[in-house]
Amino acid sequence: MLHETAPLLRLEGLSISRPDGSAVLDGIDLTVPADGVLGILGESGAGKTTLAKVMVGWVSDPLRITGGSVRFRGEDLRSSDVQRKVRPRIGFIGADPGNAFDPTLPVGVQIAEKLLAVAPGTDMAEAKKRVIALLDAVRIPSAARRFAEFPGQYSGGMLQRAVIVDALINEPDLLICDNIIQPLDVTVAAQIVRLLKELRARTNAGIVFITTSVPSVAEIADEVAVLAAGRIVERGLPMAIARSPQHAVTQELVARTPRIWTGEPAPEPSTAEVTPILQVSDITKTYSVKDRSRFFGKQNVQAVRGVSFDVFQGDNFGLVGESGCGKSTLSRLLSWVEEPDSGAILFEGKNIAEMTGRERFAMRRGFQLLLQDPYNCLPPHLPVGRTISSSLTIHGVGRKETAERVRAAMAEVGLSPDDLHRLPIGMSAGQRQRVNIARALVLEPKLLILDETLSALDPVEQGRLLNLFERLQAKHGLTYLFISHDLAMVRRVCTRIAVMYLGKMVEIADTGGVFYDPGHPYTKALLSAVPTLDERPYRTEDVLLDGEPPSPIDLPPGCSFTARCPEAMTTCRMKEPALWSRQPGRLAACHVTAPAP
Amino acid sequence: MAFLATFLIRRLAQGVLIVLIVSFAIFTALRLVPGDPARLILGPMASDAVVEQTAREMGLRDPIPVQYVHWLGQVLQGNLGTSFIKAKSGGEAAGGRDTSALGDKATVVALLEQSLPMTLQLAALALVFAFLISVPIGIVAGMNSGGWFDRFAVYLGSAFVSIPNFWLAIVLALVVTAELQWIPSIGYQGFSYTILPAFVIAIEMSPIFMRSLTSSIASAKQRNFVALADVRGLSKRRIFLRHILRNAAVPVLNIFGVQIGAMLGGVLIVEYIFNYPGIGLLTVQAVLERDFPVIQGVALISACIFVVINILVDLISTKIDPRLDF
Amino acid sequence: MPSDTVATAVAPRVRVRMETPGRRIWRATHRQFEFKLGLFLLVVLVGAALIYPHFTKLSPTRMHIMQRFWPPAFLPGGHWTHLLGTDQLGRDLFLRSLIGLQNALMISVSAVIIMFVVGAIVGLLAGFYGGIIDTVLMRITDAQLAVPVIILAITILTVHRPSPESVTLVLALSGWPGYARVVRSVTLAERQREYVRGAKILGASPIRIMLQMIAPNVLPPIAFVAVLDIARMMIFEAILGFIGIGVQPPTPTFGNIIADGRQYLINAWWISTMPGAFLFLTLLGINLVGSSIERARNQVLEGRI
Repeated sequence: MLHETAPLLRLEGLSISRPDGSAVLDGIDLTVPADGVLGILGESGAGKTTLAKVMVGWVSDPLRITGGSVRFRGEDLRSSDVQRKVRPRIGFIGADPGNAFDPTLPVGVQIAEKLLAVAPGTDMAEAKKRVIALLDAVRIPSAARRFAEFPGQYSGGMLQRAVIVDALINEPDLLICDNIIQPLDVTVAAQIVRLLKELRARTNAGIVFITTSVPSVAEIADEVAVLAAGRIVERGLPMAIARSPQHAVTQELVARTPRIWTGEPAPEPSTAEVTPILQVSDITKTYSVKDRSRFFGKQNVQAVRGVSFDVFQGDNFGLVGESGCGKSTLSRLLSWVEEPDSGAILFEGKNIAEMTGRERFAMRRGFQLLLQDPYNCLPPHLPVGRTISSSLTIHGVGRKETAERVRAAMAEVGLSPDDLHRLPIGMSAGQRQRVNIARALVLEPKLLILDETLSALDPVEQGRLLNLFERLQAKHGLTYLFISHDLAMVRRVCTRIAVMYLGKMVEIADTGGVFYDPGHPYTKALLSAVPTLDERPYRTEDVLLDGEPPSPIDLPPGCSFTARCPEAMTTCRMKEPALWSRQPGRLAACHVTAPAP
Repeated sequence: MAFLATFLIRRLAQGVLIVLIVSFAIFTALRLVPGDPARLILGPMASDAVVEQTAREMGLRDPIPVQYVHWLGQVLQGNLGTSFIKAKSGGEAAGGRDTSALGDKATVVALLEQSLPMTLQLAALALVFAFLISVPIGIVAGMNSGGWFDRFAVYLGSAFVSIPNFWLAIVLALVVTAELQWIPSIGYQGFSYTILPAFVIAIEMSPIFMRSLTSSIASAKQRNFVALADVRGLSKRRIFLRHILRNAAVPVLNIFGVQIGAMLGGVLIVEYIFNYPGIGLLTVQAVLERDFPVIQGVALISACIFVVINILVDLISTKIDPRLDF
Repeated sequence: MPSDTVATAVAPRVRVRMETPGRRIWRATHRQFEFKLGLFLLVVLVGAALIYPHFTKLSPTRMHIMQRFWPPAFLPGGHWTHLLGTDQLGRDLFLRSLIGLQNALMISVSAVIIMFVVGAIVGLLAGFYGGIIDTVLMRITDAQLAVPVIILAITILTVHRPSPESVTLVLALSGWPGYARVVRSVTLAERQREYVRGAKILGASPIRIMLQMIAPNVLPPIAFVAVLDIARMMIFEAILGFIGIGVQPPTPTFGNIIADGRQYLINAWWISTMPGAFLFLTLLGINLVGSSIERARNQVLEGRI
């Protein structure tokens, strides 16, 4: 064993450049010990993925290694012979589990295929047994059945577990995790981090954990290196980096990490005026999708299942939930692009369903929605001035007045008059979102629904827009309804918050209530999973079981959170809890925390 | 199995609908044609009274939907009608118009039975040629997308689609058959007479397959899981055979299904030029002589072939890619 | 060009980034050699078709018994006045090919325009509204794919005396469902886009959404590819002429010239082959231009450029 003393993986002065000579990675020195976790922290664009790839000798076109070396147990990973030899010893987990497997073959078969390829001599039956055992070990439910299922039948979190199984199946010596929790919902991401911590104890592989998230690296790594613009700018122990970051980039990363339980107090709902501007009572929406296993078969997806809430004038109402909880459907229903199957939505006391076409048309002015995706929300072929003015043209405002109001609105949201004739192409996400805001604002709405409006923006731009919203609210008396998955953002601006899970409201309370006195186990689970450096009141281990939200097609009876709830009782499996008023203004739908009847 | 059954039932129902639309459209178009089929059958010498009587007997004076339903009823019993023109014996005696009564004419079913196997033989050979040309080129071009071979394939494809099929047929018949006397063509006296016509059709079809293969392989190769498969330690050979080809196959199969109708169009004109006794020649003659029952029969058959092949294509596609839902 | 320079001077940085997809496709197209080659072929051939007939004393239809079966100019016995030789009636094949090209272009370009317009209207309606229009359209296109269009075309043209107009309409008839299908599918995708939802929330009417938002987005990329269909239609037109149901003689078309020459193939092979080669070069020009545009479009739309 010639290289027994050589470190597991060593990068020395490694540089990777684009064809134009600009560096993606610049003189990276890193050593990965044979066991233990090396965390690499960096913001997006710092070169993290390039670094992760080069650790398996993968440099994708048109990038080139322009200097230094990368060695696995002393062997040069740039040589393709070495790559072929050592890749079976390295497991790679990428950021995009949805595209990690061939969609046309069963997941289990592909993992077994890899095992057979890297460990010749294994037979198929043996491989299958090992894959199922490992799928089971990462807590994929009914692993034997899942073995034969296709990637499209897995949820994102489950796919990421399968990718982990794929990486671990042949017991590698090195595991590279490139941003593996980024695309996942917070509770699922928390489950994955927990899984990785367990695996760490069980395998004796060295792990490289690359991420943007300071809290997760602090939780899992033994040692951290901070990557900025292709260079390692800081190294240290994770807690030291989190507490007293030295380099400006690290400081910024730490400063951006949201704070939930420290810092400003929660915004209080206004007590003075309580006129509801929007009343939602018991709306439902079910979609039917084709069931291909039966002739003319249909399956019902229950997207929204009886949602009620009021939004008061001048309020900032937040609606939070993870993907698949029915937020987007709810936003479509609220904006009346689709109609609810049952229930009513009242705007300023009037039922939208009963409005005449003319009234509804007039209502559209008072009630605007800002959409999520800044890249798709503007017509790409129209200059932004036209886009903004079309709001007014549609509502029959004269040309001269339109021009004036467009100019005023653009100035108000911070767009320059030069932007009037620009196309959305080439504008930044923040600028586009401003155009979008201006487009809504020219109509002088009373209620603005923000459907994940800020999620695609970087934190700095997000902060600026939140200030803008605050200013506009003070000036025009706007009411906001924020629909978001981002608890920290909602915590910062909203006065009342509703938590949604699988098409239902599980908790509605003032912000203080939600964050300091949650009345639903799901809310606790969410809070335990928020990426924050604060001392948290809840630990994921205590408040969240492994498992996935059930499918909205086949809802089990009883409370839909039962399967992931550590506090579940027999009643929870039988009877669906209704929203109870625990305290004035704090409602939760849970048998466990409900006051005794 | 439940899935297979519902799939087949659903697709066959759709297929029947397509066949009905096609046959009704052709039926109507033919009935709107000026000129009396009865006169056509009996010839110019027959008296008006006889023509009128024959027309009534044949149901030619009924409203079109009634005639259509009548025709459909006959079709269901396996009777596609009788040619207006072709005699029973002389299936190949082109255009030999005789004045004998209806009873002596060939049935459409008999005519199709004679010519369909010939056309299937031609089409099958043409497909073999087309795949021999397009598969290797398409794969190499797709695997080296953007490289010199890819560009070469683009030029080759452009050249092939730019060759008018009927002109190529004439040139080949002139050079290969008449001048060089390498491969016989014109008429049919053995299998070798299929080669040139099949080659012409293959030249017409191959650029389509070549392009779709090139682009679907190039895009399959771009997929993240292909790059990852390399990192995961799978061999290049295995990645190509098991993953790239598999993912590239579905779009190509679909193009193939869609192109079946167009291919029949090519067969038609090529058979006409080479005087190859298949459905195409039958059709062109039938159209030029207004032999309506034959045209209807051909349209019906070609629609059925299209439907069946597309059901097969989709069935194979769902086997390859379980996400597909038809 | 001068105005371009000014604009660049005023806002040099913004300019590149502001390019619309259309303009990017155009630039990517220009970079390809096959585009230049194809364009060169087209300019030469179409240019000749537009100019030469006005400057020659020859007539495409008048017969010259003394000049029958002259071989092309580059063969022994050929004469420079008849570049591609003469036919069985002593008519100049080069001139007849050029006139044939004029007719073919006229017919196929108008056919493509008609099928594009009709297909775009039906496809937009079907994709946007769905429902019955959509179902009917899909069944029509299915049926149309199932049977060689040429059967229907021949049937129609044997009945109505073929004229440039009727041939154009028959070609358009054969092609519109294809366009309707493509426009429908992109409209379906576009309808789901956020900005369409945004317009609905603003209260915009369906007509406004369709005409102002969707159409300008979905149609131009499809129009680019329509170039390739001009070539397809030219072949189709030639086939009809060849069978004898295209535009009728004495008007020369590629189809009828080649059909006429077939009888003299052994002794005067050039009558069929030369105009065919001429047609081939034209089609090659169109296909090179068309496929380079298509490639550029795919590259731009897939974000590779």
